[in-house]
Amino acid sequence: MRYKSQSVAYWYFAVAMVLFGLQIVFGLLSATKYLGPDPLLYILPFDVTKVIHTNLLIVWVLTGFMGATYWMVPDESRTELHSVKLAYVQLGIWVVMGVTAIIGYLFRFGTGNKLLEQPLPHKIAIVVVMLMFLYNIGMTIKKSGRFTTTEGVLLLGIASAAVLYVPALLHYENYVVSIFYRWWTIHLWVEGVWEMIQGGFLAYLLIRLSGADREVMEKWLYVIVGLVFIAGILGTAHHYYWVGVPGYWLPIGGIFSALEPLALVGMAIYAYSAMRRSGMAHPNTLALHWTVGSAVFTLFGAGLLGLAHTWPSVNKWTHGTLITAMHGHAAFYGAYAMIVLAMITYALPHIAPGRREQGTPLGYWAFWLQLTGMFGMTLSFATAGIGQVYLERIMGMGYLDAQLKIQVHFLMLIATATVFATGVALFIYDFVRYAPRFEVVEDEADDGAGARVPRPARV
Amino acid sequence: MNKRQTRLFAIGSTAVAALVFLGLTIDTHRQFPKLTNAHNITPAVTAGKDVWHKYNCVNCHTIFGEGAYYAPDLTKITQLRGNAYLTAYMKDPSQFYDEQKHRRLMPKQDLSDEEISNLLQFLDWVSKVDNQGWPPRPILVTGSALSGTDMATPEVQATQNAPADGAAMPLPPGTDPLTVGENPMALGERVFRSATPACNACHSTAPGADMAGPSLHGLVARAQELVGSPDYKGQAKDVDGYICEAILKPSAHVVPGAMYSANGTSFMPNTYVESLKPEQVDHLTAYLSSLK
Repeated sequence: MRYKSQSVAYWYFAVAMVLFGLQIVFGLLSATKYLGPDPLLYILPFDVTKVIHTNLLIVWVLTGFMGATYWMVPDESRTELHSVKLAYVQLGIWVVMGVTAIIGYLFRFGTGNKLLEQPLPHKIAIVVVMLMFLYNIGMTIKKSGRFTTTEGVLLLGIASAAVLYVPALLHYENYVVSIFYRWWTIHLWVEGVWEMIQGGFLAYLLIRLSGADREVMEKWLYVIVGLVFIAGILGTAHHYYWVGVPGYWLPIGGIFSALEPLALVGMAIYAYSAMRRSGMAHPNTLALHWTVGSAVFTLFGAGLLGLAHTWPSVNKWTHGTLITAMHGHAAFYGAYAMIVLAMITYALPHIAPGRREQGTPLGYWAFWLQLTGMFGMTLSFATAGIGQVYLERIMGMGYLDAQLKIQVHFLMLIATATVFATGVALFIYDFVRYAPRFEVVEDEADDGAGARVPRPARV
Repeated sequence: MNKRQTRLFAIGSTAVAALVFLGLTIDTHRQFPKLTNAHNITPAVTAGKDVWHKYNCVNCHTIFGEGAYYAPDLTKITQLRGNAYLTAYMKDPSQFYDEQKHRRLMPKQDLSDEEISNLLQFLDWVSKVDNQGWPPRPILVTGSALSGTDMATPEVQATQNAPADGAAMPLPPGTDPLTVGENPMALGERVFRSATPACNACHSTAPGADMAGPSLHGLVARAQELVGSPDYKGQAKDVDGYICEAILKPSAHVVPGAMYSANGTSFMPNTYVESLKPEQVDHLTAYLSSLK
């Protein structure tokens, strides 16, 4: 840790870890309900566990983004944060918002608008938190006078994420119109500005970890951002299939969604070539695993599996089946969960110096168990989804009967989800195992601008 | 490319994509009223939308294929099931589906009558939105449509052209007719699938596969027994008459079971008397009376 104020990141990460753990609990609960019968039918029915599962995902990933930004910006701008106090107040409001929203969902206190179920006061709290956050980061950079491209991309991503949340605050009488604008928030977050945020973190990590040349890395970061938006903005169209909008969204969605993997291929090549060019000299090889893993898994989950069902003539049959769950799980995990875990793994040895910098054996178990588990879950959803599409949509078997035929895939889902959950539990345990010390180390300058001599790993 | 050029690329491509997107958005707004029949969004439909949201329906079900995948898609549900059926279902789903059999069940939601009525009006509005003809084939809630039971689809049938001498042969229940040319049973099987709403959306012909309506397997044997018995409330004198009556006047005699009727009124739509031509009713009767 080079700057004292970076310690706020630790508490954001800690909150993210708690929420991540809870998300998995509710995910596992939801998965068992697919097997049924459900003893909790009147206590914790599926709609409640599912809404908590998806909302916790959004909240913990955003918490991770904020923490990682508070970690990265002082490093990049070489300064203390503008206001540590503001950062803590922001975290406090955020946690209260998150916790009350989740408790509310237990009693069905939500707006029932898919993925944007947060009640209005909570939505306003989210906007306030985002504004506080942007102000704090903006002032930090302004005061330092040093504004890097990586930071710029990250900041623009976060600012756009805040702006794109605004349509979610509005109310539409026409359900179709509300669907139309829901995706301005969700799609343009996930396949637009969040990818920008991911790109920003990726560039930061690659510059630090591989010591790759900043000019080159930042140049290609622009190319990736360009590719993300060419395909991502018009790719929103793939959410406009079959929902009551004009037919021209179908070909537009088909073509531009097919281009979406380009940016992701770019990101994977970007990560790989940085490693090839500059070696994997950095002692924190576990963080390298997460970083490259994120780029590769994004390509698989978001790119390949998205492409698998995004063409209109395919989507006509797969729309609204477990095929979507297959893509959703792999994409979110690869792109956003893994990049946050990469940032945490990179930052942690600086915060808690007791830890082996190249990662503990437990940390590697966490990595591989999560990856194996998520890969298996993706396959379970895929096989269940293919069965569902064939039986229900093509052969015309009733929904409930088709679900009975694919029970074996739900068993597989629960088994692989258990492997995944074990990986998550190990990651969380590894996180809390070493107490943070928040010591400022002066000589830790490694911004990758020049030749960097890696420290020998502490074993 | 140098860094300045790549930056220009990033900004330029974002700006172009955003402009095109905004343009299309404006055009889409122009078309919303027509595509979504916005003039039909009555206060009841809006109230129904609020019911849909209030009870978190979208986190199990989908409409327009959007939502969660734990329960059936409801986009066209009001075209497959009548209001009486859906109202009774909303009051107590456990009377319609067995959790032990299907391994999942919708919890009772305790909606008021007004909420149910509004919800159904909302769903009916949804079912009429022009959404490019999705789903391409009706998504059924239950019922097997597999080979040996009920498999043939209109497309499959249309491609089948068998020799005419098969026409006179009685068809075993649920098999595909060898010809669709002259055989009234074959024509009747088409009506079974193509009537609005389609009979096979609620009735299967497989043994024991009760859907929203009872399975029609063994219909003739049951009808023979019923028509002469004191339990029978209708006017028919024979099996064909009973089937015909059941199609045209569903409430004349109701099959026992809370999932099929309430207060002596069958949940089956009573619209076939207008929507089917007399010869179609004859064909359908011929087909159904072949289900021994």
